[in-house]
Amino acid sequence: MIFNSYTFVVFFIIVMILHNLPFSWKTKKINLLLASYIFYAAWNPVFILLLWLSTIIDFYVGKALYVQEDKRKKNILLVVSLIGNLCMLIFFKYGTFLLDNFVTLVNAFGVDFHPAKPNIILPAGISFYTFTTLCYTIDMYKKESAPVKSLLDFSLFVTFFPHLVAGPIVRPPQLVPQFENERKASQDQIIQGLFLLSLGLFMKVVLADSMLSVAANAVFNSNQPLASLDAWMGVLAFSGQIFFDFAGYSTCAIGVAACLGFALPQNFLYPYAAIGFSDFWRRWHITLSAWLRDYLYIPLGGNRNGKFKTYRNLMITMLLGGLWHGANWTFVAWGGLHGFYLWVEKAILDARKETSKPSFVPKFLLAMATFFLVNVTWVFFRAGTFAQAGSILQSMFGMMPKGNAVLTTLAIWKVGVIVVGMVIAQWLMRNRLVLDVIPKLSWWAFGSIWAFMLLLLIWSQESGSSFIYFQF
Amino acid sequence: MDTNSLKKALLLMLVIVTIALVSWEIRLRKIGVQPTFDAGDVLWSDKRAMVYEPKDKVTVFIGSSRIHFDIDIPTWKTATGKQVVQLGIDGSSPMPVLTNLADDPNFKGNLIIDITEGLFFSTSPFNMEEPNKGLKYFKDRTYAQKASFQINKVLESRFAFLDKENFSMNAYLAELHLQNRPKVFEMPIWPWQFSGASFDNQAIMYPVFVSDTNLQVRVRNIWAMFAKMGEKDVPMHGKELDSLLNVVKVSVDKIKSRGGNVFFTRTPSSGPYLIGEQMGFPRDKYYERVLATTGCQGMHFQDYASTKNMICPEWSHLDQPQAVVFTKELIRVLRDEKGWKL
Repeated sequence: MIFNSYTFVVFFIIVMILHNLPFSWKTKKINLLLASYIFYAAWNPVFILLLWLSTIIDFYVGKALYVQEDKRKKNILLVVSLIGNLCMLIFFKYGTFLLDNFVTLVNAFGVDFHPAKPNIILPAGISFYTFTTLCYTIDMYKKESAPVKSLLDFSLFVTFFPHLVAGPIVRPPQLVPQFENERKASQDQIIQGLFLLSLGLFMKVVLADSMLSVAANAVFNSNQPLASLDAWMGVLAFSGQIFFDFAGYSTCAIGVAACLGFALPQNFLYPYAAIGFSDFWRRWHITLSAWLRDYLYIPLGGNRNGKFKTYRNLMITMLLGGLWHGANWTFVAWGGLHGFYLWVEKAILDARKETSKPSFVPKFLLAMATFFLVNVTWVFFRAGTFAQAGSILQSMFGMMPKGNAVLTTLAIWKVGVIVVGMVIAQWLMRNRLVLDVIPKLSWWAFGSIWAFMLLLLIWSQESGSSFIYFQF
Repeated sequence: MDTNSLKKALLLMLVIVTIALVSWEIRLRKIGVQPTFDAGDVLWSDKRAMVYEPKDKVTVFIGSSRIHFDIDIPTWKTATGKQVVQLGIDGSSPMPVLTNLADDPNFKGNLIIDITEGLFFSTSPFNMEEPNKGLKYFKDRTYAQKASFQINKVLESRFAFLDKENFSMNAYLAELHLQNRPKVFEMPIWPWQFSGASFDNQAIMYPVFVSDTNLQVRVRNIWAMFAKMGEKDVPMHGKELDSLLNVVKVSVDKIKSRGGNVFFTRTPSSGPYLIGEQMGFPRDKYYERVLATTGCQGMHFQDYASTKNMICPEWSHLDQPQAVVFTKELIRVLRDEKGWKL
C-alpha cells in the first residue's frame, strides 16, 4: 500500500479510529501490528512470510545473543542472524545480478554457460527492514541496548507501517521504548502530523510526479545523443524528483506516526543546501548514513587506524552503500563517486587544518558546487547502463555537438522553476525544521499554505505511482 | 502556535479546499462537462480481468480508438442481453493485446478485432507502448490498487473535475502552448469536448463537439499533423507484412483451438482520412489478406448500406447516434450472416 492512494486514506482513517477507541494498550498494539501486516500484504501477501521469518529469527537470536557469555556461541548466533537476514536480501535483491556477473565472468574465460533468466520478484522494502533487524541483533551482540521484552513489541518495531517499506530506518532505542507505554497523539500532534502527511504527499505527487518525472524520464529513457540543455534539465529534474519522492515519503511516514502518537527520526535535512559531502550525507537519507557509519564504517576501523585505512574504510562504506541502493554496477559507481568526493573533501580539510588558511569562498557558492557535483552522481544512479551514463555526461559537458532536443519548452520551465525554488528554499531552511517554522506563522497564513498544497495535490490528479525508493 | 490556532488553521484549510472544489465543479458543470472515467491502465485492467466470462455471456473488443468510440455498449447490452469487454486502446496497435489473449489459456471467448490500418499494420514501438503498459499494470496490480480503483470509481462517477487528461494541472499548463524548439515533439491537445469515457470504457463524443465545426477542425488538424509526420513512412509490405499476418494467424489459431471465436471489423472513417487510408492500405492487399490468412470472417463498413455512408465528424470516429447504428448493424451481421449466437 502506498501513502498516495485512496486505499491508504481509508486504511488510515480506520487505523486512527481504532487507535483512539478505549481499548487496552496491548489491544491497540495488536491493532497496529495487524494494520501493518495488512499495509504490507496489500502489495503482495506471500512476502509477509519473509517478514515473519526475519522477525522471529531476530527476536529469539537477539535475546540469546544478549545473555550468551560464551564468545564462540555468541559468534555462532550472530552468524545465524546475519545469514538469515542477508541471505534473503542477497537472494531476492542480488540473485539475478550475481548470476549475470557470474555468467559474464565464465563467458570471458571461454565457458559457454547461458542459464535461464531467473524471475525473482523483489519484496517491497526488504533492504529497509533487513537493516532494521540487523542493527537489532548487532546491538544485542554488542550489548548496546537491552533486548525487547515481548515479541509483540519487537514485531511492531520491525513492521510498524509508517517506516516499514521505505524508512526512516529506525534503531531499537528510537522506537521500542515508545511501545512500552500507552501513546496517544495530542490534538497538536494530530494536526501537525496531518500537515506533514499533506506536505509529504505534495512533494511526492505534485513536485516529483506531476512536475519533474516527465522531463527526467524523457531524458533517461532516450536512446539518442542529447543536446546539452536537455541533458542538464533531465538530470536536474531527476535530482529534484528523487529528493521530493524520497523526502516526501519520509515526511509522510513521520506525519502518519505523529498522528498515532509516535516519533520517527528525521531522514532529510535540506541536502541540496549541504556545504560539502560530509554535510550532504548528514542531510540526505540520514538514517541510512548513520546506519552505515555505525554498523559498517566504524566496525571497519573508522578513522582510528591512520589516514590510509580511513580513506579505505570510507570508500568501502560508500561502495556498499551504493550497492544497497540497487543490484547494478551503476549504483556502485554512484557510491564510489561519492566516496571519491569525500576523499577529496577530507584531503582538502586536512590540508587546510595544517596550514590554517581561512576560507574566502562564500558558503552559498560551496553549496552550489556541492549541488553541481551531486548532480553528476545522479547520472549513474538513474542511468540503466554505463554507456547511457557516459552518453548523458558527454551531452551535459558539451561533447555531443549534434545532440537532439527532446524536452518541450514547458518541461524546461517546470524543471527550471521547481529546481531553482527547491535550492533556494533548502538554503533558507537549512538550519530549521518545518515544524519550527509553523509557530512563527499566523494561523491564517498556515491554513492558507496548507489549503494551497492540498488543492495542488488534488488538481495534479496523479494516481498512485510508486515511490522510487520502494525498488531499493 | 497554540492548539487553538492550529485548529483554526485546520478549519480554514478545510473551508478553502471545500469552497474551491465546489466552485470548480460548478463551473465545469456549467460549461457542460460531465463526470467521466480516466480511460487509462487502471480502468483497462479492470476490463481485462473480465475476459474470462463464458463466450455465451461476453464479447471482447480490441483495437484502437475507433472501436472505443464506435461500439455503443448500452446498445449491445440491450440487443443481446450480454456483456461487452472493451479493450480498445487509443492510438495503438491491437497486436500486444491479441498476443496476450492468445497466450492466456483461460481466454476462450468471442473476440472482435478492429482494423485501423495505420495502427494494425504497424510494428512501431510507439504503437505498442500503451498496450504493453496496460498489460504490465494488469499483471502487476496489487490488492491495494484494486481497492483504490473501487474508491476512485465512486469519486470519478460523481465529480467532473476528476479528469486528468483535460482538467488536471498539467492539462491547464499545456494550454499555455509555449513555442518549442525545432524538432521537439509535443503531443497535441485534444479539446475536452471531443470525448469522455464511460465506466464500461466506451469513448463518447460530446454533443457539443458534434455541433461545433471549429472543434472538429481542430481535431482534423491533429490527424493531419500525424499524417504529415508519417508521410515518409512506407506502408508495411512484403515480408514484413507476411510476418505480421503470420503472428495474427498464430494468435487467432490459438484462440480458435480453445473454442473461441474471432471476428474482424473495419470501422468507419470518412473524408480525406478515408481517402488516405485507401491509398496507403488498399483493401484487397491488407484487410482482405487478414481475413484470408486467418480464415476468419469480417465486417467492412463499406459493405453495408446502413454504414457505408457514415460521416465521422472529425473523419475518424463516430458520434454516439451513429455508434448506435453501427453497433446494431454489427449485431445483425454477426447473428444473421455469420451465425454467431448472440
